[in-house]
Parts: sequence; structure tokens; C-alpha cells
Amino acid sequence: MITNFSKIYKNTLFRYSLLGALLFVLSLMIVAVSVYYATVTSELNRVDKLVETEHSEIQKIYDENGFQAVEREVTLRTASSEGLYGLVNKRVAIGNLFFQEVTKEDGELPLLTGLEPNEFNKVAFLYSNPHSEENDFKDRRARALVGPIRTENGVAAILVVGRDVEGTMRTGLKVRNAIFISSHIALILGLISSWFLSKRFTRRVDAFNKLADDVRLGNLERRAPRNYSHDEMDMLAEHLNGMLDHIERLMKSMKYAGDSVAHDLRTPLTRLRTRLESAAIKRENTEDAEVFFSAAEDANGLLKTFDSILRISRLETGEKRELLINIDPKTLLDDLADLYEPSCESAGLEFIAITPKGHIIKADRGLMSQAVSNLIENAIKYTPKGGKVKLELLKTSKGLVEISICDNGPGIPLADRERVKSRFVRLDKSRTQPGNGLGLSLVDAVAHFHNADFILSSIDNHNTKRPGLRAAIIFPKKNIK
Amino acid sequence: MRILVIEDDKVAAEYVRKGLMEAGHVIDIANDGDLGLEMAQATDYDVLVIDRMLPKMNGLDVLKGLRASKDTTPVLILSALGEVDHRVEGLRAGGDDYLVKPYSFTELLARIEAIGRRNDPSGVVANLKIGELEMNLLSRTVKRNGKKILLQPREFRLLECLMRNSGRVVTRTMLLEKVWDYHFDPQTNVIDVHISRLRAKIDKDFAVPLLHTVRGAGYCLQE
Repeated sequence: MITNFSKIYKNTLFRYSLLGALLFVLSLMIVAVSVYYATVTSELNRVDKLVETEHSEIQKIYDENGFQAVEREVTLRTASSEGLYGLVNKRVAIGNLFFQEVTKEDGELPLLTGLEPNEFNKVAFLYSNPHSEENDFKDRRARALVGPIRTENGVAAILVVGRDVEGTMRTGLKVRNAIFISSHIALILGLISSWFLSKRFTRRVDAFNKLADDVRLGNLERRAPRNYSHDEMDMLAEHLNGMLDHIERLMKSMKYAGDSVAHDLRTPLTRLRTRLESAAIKRENTEDAEVFFSAAEDANGLLKTFDSILRISRLETGEKRELLINIDPKTLLDDLADLYEPSCESAGLEFIAITPKGHIIKADRGLMSQAVSNLIENAIKYTPKGGKVKLELLKTSKGLVEISICDNGPGIPLADRERVKSRFVRLDKSRTQPGNGLGLSLVDAVAHFHNADFILSSIDNHNTKRPGLRAAIIFPKKNIK
Repeated sequence: MRILVIEDDKVAAEYVRKGLMEAGHVIDIANDGDLGLEMAQATDYDVLVIDRMLPKMNGLDVLKGLRASKDTTPVLILSALGEVDHRVEGLRAGGDDYLVKPYSFTELLARIEAIGRRNDPSGVVANLKIGELEMNLLSRTVKRNGKKILLQPREFRLLECLMRNSGRVVTRTMLLEKVWDYHFDPQTNVIDVHISRLRAKIDKDFAVPLLHTVRGAGYCLQE
């Protein structure tokens, strides 16, 4: 599940649409916050203004008509408006606030404690009205202005003018909840749609990846699937197919050219060799014959090199892979062991073949035999007398079938191990030996043709003079049955 | 033998003609597929040598045409295409042997003589005999001068191949193909080592050698 998620998370489209969903939720929240402020905060400001006005109205009544008029006014307003009032001095305590249980919002303090009698304070508080007929009479929120009614030289009383804001606050809460829920729903919908989108997208991208793999393996006739919707993926498929058509055409004409070159060049070379041979045969048993035979041999070597180049290029284009069939590598290697054992013996080398039964590989017997034969011949060529050549078939720890040829000769330095797989590369040490520098590149091409890995390594790193060489062809899992 | 060579390269055909004539054969040459098929059907040849790529009519089509008209003349296909599937294609079309260009003339000669009608290699025989060397194919035993010689299975097949072609040159490539079923040329003298082992078993204790090396060509088993 976790790997599944991380796989989906890696999907570009999924990430983009998820980002889109998040941005949408964010903007939803910004809208909500502004709505909240527009409704709740402005309502609270209105209340604040209102209580201020009322307070100054009552101050004005005091200034004009004296304290008794104020007492009357407060009693009147208490009875007739929704307001909360309190008028208090050493003598009186009037107003509905004195019938309520009042606590300050941020504590248990009575409303008036801790306030300077000579100053105006805005307070928010909770109150409960046990006489109210409403159901939710407890802990209602209210705001009030607490301030003095001033005389010319002192304070006549403290007047509290307030309003119940429970309704406003509840609306605010409702708005907040609505935002919370809708943003969650938006987020979930966003996730689901991103998941579907990315699934669909991935399916189509996977089709392209599979196509690329197939083409790389030599199936040049494969094409990308199209749905003719002319959307961007369909257009990509169209362009890709156009490109593949072109590549296929080029490959065909190249192949044709290659075949023609092979035909055109081999024929005159054959003639050259035939002339040299017949000249040699005519001069049989003379000194000249040797010269002609050697010249014919040289021409032959040239032709063999040419042959190998053609063969490697054909293998590299990766065609004809359908010729691979299931074979038992044991039989293949036993035949080669049988062929080369006498050569090893006459070169003074010990030859060991370990070829257990029970493996099956998908291979072309001829090509694989030639590759392994090249490796055995190399081992024989470079291993000094008294050395050892080992041909081995085994299953690696990863369960892959591996054919390896080991020797205890001079080996190949680490830095050169990839280079020797290229065409015509010959290491300085080997220049004295016959060969055309194509042996290992042919092995490499054959290995690639089989989707196999061709790996060169040393056997004994501590032996600096003769570290040995291990040449391994490792077959991929899908070729093993 | 009377041999028809169907080859569009006139110079190469001429060399082949000269060489085969010197080896004592009678040669006709056709330079394109149409003419080749016509000539092959008109005359009773012992061997046909057909180039795969021909003007007018492709070599394989010539061969298929012949086989369709129940003509069983042995055919050697020449080709610049040496891949295994090309070879299989050629043999499936009814070819008896397949030789990839560039071939050496001795190789060509050895192969023509090996498939030639007069040698009839398909005949079922239980015994092969060259001089005092005898091979029984049923009991898979070899005797020389009545003395039993022990051979490994592969040595037996090697000797069998040489004995079936006794008196004719068998090339290293032919041995690799017929005894080991390999169609590539090893870089080393791997066949020579096998031959010298075989020679040690059949010739070493006897005065007259039977297994001869032919310079520039291959081996020949004869008295």
C-alpha cells in the first residue's frame, strides 16, 4: 500500500493535480476568512459603536437632567430594548445585568473588578440568564462598554451598556464549520480525481514505455496505440509512429546496402584468394608455393575480419531475435569442451568443464557457441603453459543462468575491461598474438543479442602478475525457463 | 562429373570453371537464374552450383523450381549471406550444402565432390573400408589390420566423415560442420589437434600412413 502510494506520488500528473486541489482549498479558505470577517467582525464593530452611542446619550441625559433622569432612562431602556445595562454607584445598582450571573470571558472575575472607575473599557463576557425562556440561556456571549457617568468634578456612577452577541458568534461558527467541511470535501474530491487522472495517464505512458522497450529489443514494426481523439497523448503517439516509420525505412535501406556491400566486396575478395590459391597449387612443392599460400592465408584473414564486422553489425541491429529457442546450455558447453579439450592439452593447460544439468536458456546455439568458443580461445591464447582454463555453468545467487570461462593468465586491467569490448581494440600486451580485435566485441554483440550481460572480472586480485580473467555471460531471467 | 555453375559474376565463374576443369570435371556456366533453370532442366548434371543472388531469378527460386519438377540433382548453394537462418532457408529450399562467400576454391571443390551424384553418400552401408582400415557402423568399432582401435565417440564421427569421403579432400570447415555442427570458423587450429589425436590412434603403429594433410585445403584419407 505504501509502495503503491509512493508509486502514485511519483506520477507527475498526480502531483500536479494534487497541487491544484490544495491551491483550490487554500483559496476557498481565503474566501471563507474574508466572509467571516465581513459578517462577524463588522457586526461586532457595529455593536461596539452602538453601545458607545448609548453611553454618550445617557451621559448627555445626566448633563442635562441629573442623576435621577439617568436612573429612569436606564430602567426604561432595560425594559424596552435588547440591551444589557448596569448603573452602579455607592447608592444604587440598577439594570438587568444585576439579574444575571456574569463572568468575564477570560476568567471568573466579576464584571467590574480590576477596572479603573474613571476609564472607559470594552469588555467581552459571558452571562447566564436563569429567568430567560430561551433554551440556551447559559454562558451567552456579550460585549459591553464600561465607563463612568462624569460630573463636573468626579464620577456619579459607573454605567455598563452591553449587547448580546451570541447570535452573531454562532453565525460565525456556522460559517467556519461550513468552510471546514467543504474544504475537506474539495480536498478528497481533488485526491480522487488526481488518482483517476494519473491512472489514465500512467496507462498511456506505460504503453509508450513498453513500445520503446520493444523497439530497443529490435521489434521495429511495433507502433504506439492511438485512440484518434487528437489529444496531446494521441498526437505524441502519431509523431512517435511517424518517427518509427522513418527509422524502419532507414534500417531497411541500410540493411539492403549492407547486404549489397557484403555481396559486392566478398566476391572480388574471393576471386583474389582463388587466384592466389590456384597459383600456389600450380607451383606445388616449390618455394614460391609457400609465398602464395601465405598470401592466400592473409586474404583469408582479411575476409574473416570483414565477415566478423558484418556479423557484429547484424547482431547489433537486434533483428531475428525470434530465432532464439529453448536449449540446454549443458549440451552446448559439453560440445565446446569436447572441441577444445585437446587444444588445451596440447597448449599445456589444464582444462576443467563443470556443466551441471537442469538449466534451460533461450538462445541461438550457433551464435552462443561462437561466443563461448571465442572466450575459450582467448583463454588458451593468453594463459601461460601450466595454467588452468575452466568452463563453468552455474546459477547465480539471484537465480540467473551464467556461463563463465576462467583462466589464470595475465587478465585485463580494470580500466580496460569495458574498452576491450569495442571493435578493433587490442591491448598492448596482446599485439604480439594473432587476432583482429573483434573477438570480444563479437561476444558482447552476441550477449546483447540474447539480452544477456557480458562481464569481465579478475579472479585473484592479490596476484598482481597473473590475476586471471573471468569472462561471464549472464542470461536475464525472462530467457530462463 | 558434369557440373553446372549458375553465377552472375563472370570472372569468378571463369575461375571456378578453370579450377574444376583442372580437377577433371566438365563445366557449364549460366549467368542468370532463368538461363540456369533452363539448362539444369535440359541436361542431366551430376552437381549444380547455384549462387543465391542472381539477376532475373533468385537462386533459391531456381532451386525450388527444380525440386518442384522432381529434379533431385545435388545442389550446392553459394551465398554472401552467412547467417544461420539464411543457411537453414537454403537447405530447406532443397539445397544439399551451403557455402558462404568468401570460400576457397579447395573448399568448393571438396564440397562439390562430397555431394556429387557418383559418390552417392546417401547409400546405406554397414561397413566402410579403406585399405586395411575397417569401420563397422552398427557395432561402432574400428579395426586396422584386424587389430581393434578404441576411439572416443567424437573421434569415431571424425573418422567416419573422412572415410565416407575417402580419396577426396575434406576441409576443416566441412569437419566442423559435419562432426560438430558448427558454422563458424574458429581462430585457432582446433581441428588440427583433433586430427593429430586421431592420427596417433590409426596411423602411429603402422608403416603406411592413411590420413594425409593437404596443404592449403584440409585432410584426405586414402591408401
